[in-house]
This record gives sequence, structure tokens and C-alpha cells, in this order.
Amino acid sequence: MKTGPGRDLAREEPDSGLPWRSAATDLGRTAVRRLTDLESGSVIVATLVLVVVVGAFHPDFLAATQLTQVVQQAAFIGLLAVGTSFLLAMREIDLSIGSMFGLTLIIGAVAIHSGMNPWLAVPVCVLAGAGLGLVNALLVQGIKIPAIIATLGTLSLYSGLAEALANGQQITGLPIGNSFFVVLGGDELGLPTSIWVLLVVVGVLTAVLRLTPFGYRVRAIGSNPEAATFSGISIPRVRVQALVLMGALCGVAGVLGLAFYDSGDPSIGTGSELTAIAAAIIGGTPLIGGSATVLGAAVGAILLGVVSSALVFFNVPLNWSAFATGAVIILAVSMDSLLRQGRRRRQARQH
Amino acid sequence: MLEVRGITKAYGGVTALREASLRVRPGTVHALLGENGAGKSTLVKIIAGAERPDSGVVLLDGIAVSFASTAEAARSGVAVVSQELALFPDLDVLLNLFAAGPICRGPLLRRSAMAGRAAPVLAELGLEVGFRQLAGSLPLADRQRIEIARALLTSPRILILDEPTSAQEAAGTENLLNVVRVLRDRGVGVVFVSHILEEVLSLSDEVTILRDGAVVVAGAGRSSLTIPMVVAAMLGDRKLYAHPAADGRAVTRAVADAETARPPGTADPPEAGAPPEAAAARPRPAAFHDHGNFDALEPAETSVLMETAAAGPPGMRAAGDLRVEHVSVRRRLDDVSLTARPGEVVGLAGLAGAGQRALLDVVRGLSRPRRGTVRLPSGAVCPRRFRLAVAQGVALVTGDRRRFGLMLDKPVWENIGQVRSVALARDGIYIRRSVLQARARDQMERLGIRAAAGAPAGSLSGGNQQKAVFAKWLEAEPQMLVLDDPTRGVDVGAKAEMHRLIRSIAASGAVVLLCSTEADELASLCERVLVFYRGRITGELTAPGIDSRAVLEAINTGQVVHV
Repeated sequence: MKTGPGRDLAREEPDSGLPWRSAATDLGRTAVRRLTDLESGSVIVATLVLVVVVGAFHPDFLAATQLTQVVQQAAFIGLLAVGTSFLLAMREIDLSIGSMFGLTLIIGAVAIHSGMNPWLAVPVCVLAGAGLGLVNALLVQGIKIPAIIATLGTLSLYSGLAEALANGQQITGLPIGNSFFVVLGGDELGLPTSIWVLLVVVGVLTAVLRLTPFGYRVRAIGSNPEAATFSGISIPRVRVQALVLMGALCGVAGVLGLAFYDSGDPSIGTGSELTAIAAAIIGGTPLIGGSATVLGAAVGAILLGVVSSALVFFNVPLNWSAFATGAVIILAVSMDSLLRQGRRRRQARQH
Repeated sequence: MLEVRGITKAYGGVTALREASLRVRPGTVHALLGENGAGKSTLVKIIAGAERPDSGVVLLDGIAVSFASTAEAARSGVAVVSQELALFPDLDVLLNLFAAGPICRGPLLRRSAMAGRAAPVLAELGLEVGFRQLAGSLPLADRQRIEIARALLTSPRILILDEPTSAQEAAGTENLLNVVRVLRDRGVGVVFVSHILEEVLSLSDEVTILRDGAVVVAGAGRSSLTIPMVVAAMLGDRKLYAHPAADGRAVTRAVADAETARPPGTADPPEAGAPPEAAAARPRPAAFHDHGNFDALEPAETSVLMETAAAGPPGMRAAGDLRVEHVSVRRRLDDVSLTARPGEVVGLAGLAGAGQRALLDVVRGLSRPRRGTVRLPSGAVCPRRFRLAVAQGVALVTGDRRRFGLMLDKPVWENIGQVRSVALARDGIYIRRSVLQARARDQMERLGIRAAAGAPAGSLSGGNQQKAVFAKWLEAEPQMLVLDDPTRGVDVGAKAEMHRLIRSIAASGAVVLLCSTEADELASLCERVLVFYRGRITGELTAPGIDSRAVLEAINTGQVVHV
């Protein structure tokens, strides 16, 4: 909005009249521009570039099985990240997502261990996750504290509960021959089931965000909470819905994780909340709220997955891997910020 | 003695003060009066050292002074209690009182010494607060008196009070006025700026009146003035805005009277399940009203408005009356009753804090009355939340559009669809962008919003932004429109368009409540203006007798003088 028409004219493509530009590069430029105009465009470009660069040094990395494995590993974080993008869009954050992921996984493991039909773990874990999300929401509404504080508490609470339920040990001896573990933990139609689930969730939640009143409400609240209230939108109600959705997604990740790992490790979600939040931000969901990209959050999780596998390929010492991850996050966010500015200028020119 | 000579001050191209002079003698109370924007606050700021004049001098005891800051002014004995409260909400009362210069021994505060000095001042003001209470936890009236106490603690020789009683209840005001009298007896010169004319005139010895930045009455003796004279001087020979539809009114009245005269039982708003024919058969004051009201409009515009009036919102219950019965809100409203009929623009006028905004808060579900009932046009009783009020067909257009009205970073179409499709989800659980955009474009064309539907709302001009706020509520087809200073900060042309729009909304059968700080606006739009004074409705101005002078006089005195 700050770019007036005069300034825009001055920035009109300087190279538009150059004779050697072919139609092909024009087409390529349009495609790239269309991609960068997507909110999730920059993270997609960054991921592709990173994969190509890593592949240039280590062609093994480009093998289909390797790439599938990277995406499969990132699917759990991806599920947490897409939920986080909803929360960020309404200026909220949930720090307990890693713990909810771990706790729902343990709840499922304990239930199966005690003889429940493994397939019933699907509703059990998802409902348990939704219930944990509801507890977060009730704390936020009841005590009137910000979600970041309430979920900082439940972060410990839930992971402690997971440790206690599992007696501090891995829950093993599950009937891993059951079709539950084979189907949900294995491959279907040539891809790991967790990737299919992530794709479906991304599709559904993108539709929810862009096409339903709930999605519009979430973004309206993030854009201007007071105006949202004064349009008849109930912020508490939407907040409860979003936190419950977040919990349910953690439950989905939990049940998939259980089927994939074949055992219940109570420490499995530890630390994944920060990775998921980073993935959502890298994906193009701004912290100031008002907009979100579900696809971007999922791709952001994949980008972080690519980084950590690439570190293995480059034999980066384990002690440096956290440092490298941090550097990549900063790089990705600054690149996104640059692309965003360019996009805003182009949009301003259109109006 | 404080003397101001020939002060001129311009902001940008706008002259706020032109050759203004003021002379405040010790031991007197000097009233400084004028409309909003007449230059009172600028003059006060210049005296206090918060602003520098372009030309002219301020003399204190005959010596020219030019304070660099309000602190320096306070050291020279000129203390100011400003309209905007300048307290630190997270500090306690004592530290607020001594914010400028706490009493210390070495690096440590001496709370007991400070408390000893402050106690008598608080007692004098009748302020019963603990020194350890946080300023932010106190009610507005107490905070205002703390600010006054802070000024008194500097033992000023000149005390300037800018709207000191606006937040006070009767007892607090009486206390404060007594303190001013005591100060006067001690030889302090007091400058009193207030909108409550009765109060000012009961207290002051001399009166200076500003109009458009110039002094029109200079230090006249109190005894030579009456309230009508003061109001006349404040307004000058500015054109008075009368209601544009003086002849249409007789018809409206007759219809309205016929409605109220219906036999009991039928007078109630139709129930939810009432047959639509009954609703359609109700007399529509709107239709009659139109002809009187709109002859000033272009023919094309009139037809658009007539169409709106005739079509009526589909699928909605016919609007009934808004009935407010014996509503009281703690510290804000005292036993207020009113009825507003469909097709009528009812003005709510009063000084800041007189209760008109409190009533708006009640009808839109933001505050709950302690006593009394509200019945909305939809037939619902007293909404408990704003969201429920919106669901019951209440629309709110506020002048603070950037804060409460719009999502500035979102496209206009998303703003326009926000109430109907997003908040109320009236289009189901699937929102089609193309439908919303098409509807937004319709509304924009109707209201003359000159922008692209996809442009971010923040890129629109103030007038277009405000029209977008109207559009977003019209899209929801409300039965009652609550206007809170709806044309604040928009230019004259846009204001006229919006006034036309408000009339057409009323004409289409909605109940319209208008709260405005501009007397002209009330005068040009309302058939009735209810006058609020200290939390009560103390009078009603009716149509031919509404002009800005009558409104100003009524809100300042709380009395309606029948001509």
C-alpha cells in the first residue's frame, strides 16, 4: 500500500524490451512468477532447489526410495505444522503439539497392548487428541491466559502423562502382524500410507481454510480481532474449535506414528513442536496472523526433513546438525521475506 | 497573573488559533468555551508548553515566558489537567501522584513523606483510594481526580482544567467544584474548559469564547451572559442545519400514530411464525416517508433507493419496534426508556459520558443492564453478546472503522462478505469466492464505492472505507442499524452521500439509532433526538424544532427549551 503508482512505474521491468528474450524463457518466467505468487511458492522453490543441490553432490539422494523416505519421515511433523498454520493465522500458538503427538501414540499403544482391536486405535487416538486440545482450549478460556502460556504448561503435563502411562519404557510386544500395522505403517499404491494421509489432510484443510466460514473466521480474527468481534464473530468459540482441530491432528499423527514405529516410545514427540512451528513459518504463514497456507506448512516440514537427511549425506558431524538446521531456517525465512516484498509490489501495481 | 497576547498557530494549512488573547487574573475562575475544534485545546497546550505558537507571547506576571515542557510550566506554577488522562496504569496511586518529582532520600523513595503530603489533597477532593492501589485498577472518575490531585500537589498559581468533570458523577463534580472555589479564594487563577455550560457558568467569574480559532467573547463578566447567548457566540452565524423533510413529516407522524393506536394485542411485533401476509399488510411508514425525503436526490438515485425500500430483505421477519424499558447500567445509565419505530432515525445526543453510548452498548449486547428490558426489532429480548445481537439483525457502523470496522489487509469483497457469509454463515458451510465478489461489486456500485473489489480495504480513501463498512452490514440485511459517529473523519461530499444512504436504509423499514458528536448531523438526519444528561433521558427534540443550536443547548443543559 505504501508503493504509490509513481514508484511502480519506475520499477516497470527494465528488460521487457530486450530483443533476445525468447518465448520459452517468457513462459518459464511466468511459471516461476505464478509459483512465487503463491503464498507457499517460496518454500516449494526452496525445497526443490535444495533437493537439486544435494542431488548434484550425492546423486543417491535423488533415488525415489530415498526421497519417499524423507517425505514419510516428515509426514508426522507435517501434520502438526498444518494445524499450527491455522493457529498462527488467528494469532495463537500451541506449544503442546509434540506432547499431544507422543501422548496419543502412547494411549493407542497401551490400549492395543491391553488387547484392544488395533484398528480401534484410530478413533481412540484421534478422539484423545481432540480431547487434549479441548483441555488446552478450556484452560485458555477458563483461566483467561494466552494459549502460549497454557500450552507451555500442558507441554510438560502431557509428556509427563505419556512417560507415566508407559512406565518410562518403550511399549513393545504389540501384534505387529495385524493389518493395522501393515496398512497404516506400510505402503499403499506405491507410497507410504502416512504420505497419503498427509495429502488428504492438506487437501481437506486447504478447502476448510479457503472455502468455509470457519476458515474465513480464523483469518478474519488474525487480520483484525476487534473488527472480527464487531462483525459478530465469536473469538472464543473459533479459538476452541481451532485448538480442538489441532489436538485431533496430533492424534492422527500419533496413530500413524504408532503404526509406523510398531512400538510406543513415550519420548517420541519431544521437541517436535518447535520443528512444526518452524515448518509452518517457513511455509509462508506469517506470525502476525490473517493468512495461512496449509500446503506451505506441509512443504515446510518436508524442507526441514530434507535438511536433516542432507546433513547425513554430507557427513556433517551430529554435533553440528542443530546449528545447520537453524541456519537453514533463517535462510528460508529471509528468502521468503524478500519474495513476499516483491509480491506485494506486484499486487500494488495491479490496483 | 497569566496573560496570552495575539497567539497564532497553524497546523499545516489549517489555522487553529488566530490572534487569540486571554487574561487570567489571580483569584478568579476563567471559563474557556468553544465548539469542538474551536482552538481551546491548542490554546491550553501552548500555555502549558506542549506546543509552540507561530506568533504571540505568553506572559506570566508580566514577564514573557516560553515553557519548553509541561514540567517546566509546572515548576513555574502553571499546572494543566489535560483531557487525555496521562497516568501510569501499572504504577500505584502514590507514585502516580509524584511521577514528575518523587520525594527521595538518596536513591530511595520516601513513601511516608509523599503520603503525608498527598493525603490532605486527596481528602479535599473526596477521593478515597489506597496509595498502594494500581492506577489502572481504578474507575475512570477516580483516575481523573488523581490527575487533578497531581496538579494540585505542585501548588500551582495558575491551574488549567480541561474537561475535568466529564467522567465525574454528581458527587465527584460537586467536590471538584468546591475545590476550585477554595483555590480561587486562595488566589489561584483557574482556567476552566468544559462542555457542561451550566456548570461552567455557575462557577466562573469571567468567560472567554473561541470560535474557529478566534476570540469572539473576551473575558466578559459572568453576569452579562446567559446560556443562549453563550451558545449563539459559540456557533456564530453559521448556517443552521434543519431536517430536510419538514413536509414529509406530517405523513410519517400520522402513520406512526395510527400504528401506536392499534388495539392492544396487535401492537406487538409479529411473532416468528406469523403469516407473511400479516407482516406485509402492516403499514409501511417508509413508503410515505420516501416522497417527502428524497426530492432533493437525482431521479436515478431515488429509484435505486425506492427499489431497496420496496424489495425488503428476503427471508427475514418484518421489523418491529425497538423497545427499551427502564434500563439501568451501573454508573452509566439510570432508568432509560425509549421506543424506536421502523423507518425512523432516532438521534441519541449528549456530552461524552452522558449515557448515549452506554445505551448503544446495551442494545448491541456489549453490556448487560442491571435492570430493565430491551426488545429488539426481531422480537428477541436483550442480547447477551454482540454476536447474538448481530444474529438478531443488529448492525453496527462505527466511526472508528480502522479499528472496529475493517480488515485493512484483506480485499474489499472479503470485508463486505464478513458479516453475512462468514460470521453468520448464512450461505452455508461452503463460501464461494466468485459469489461473494459479485455481491460485493453490487453493493459497491449501489453505494458508489470507487475501487476494485479485490483491492485491499486499507488502500481506499476514508470515505470509501466507511461506505465499505456500510456495505458489509447492508449485505447482512439488518433490521436495526446502530450508528456510532458514522461519518467521523470523512469529507463533506462522502458525508452527504452517507446521509442519503442512512435515510434510504431507514426508509426501507429498518430501525436506525444515531449517536453523533456532530450536532449538525443529528439535526439533518433525525426525526427525533433524545437528549441524554448524566445517564438519563431528560428531553426529546422533535423534527421541525431540531437544529444544531437546539441540540447543543439541550446537551449542555440537559433541558429542552420548547419554542
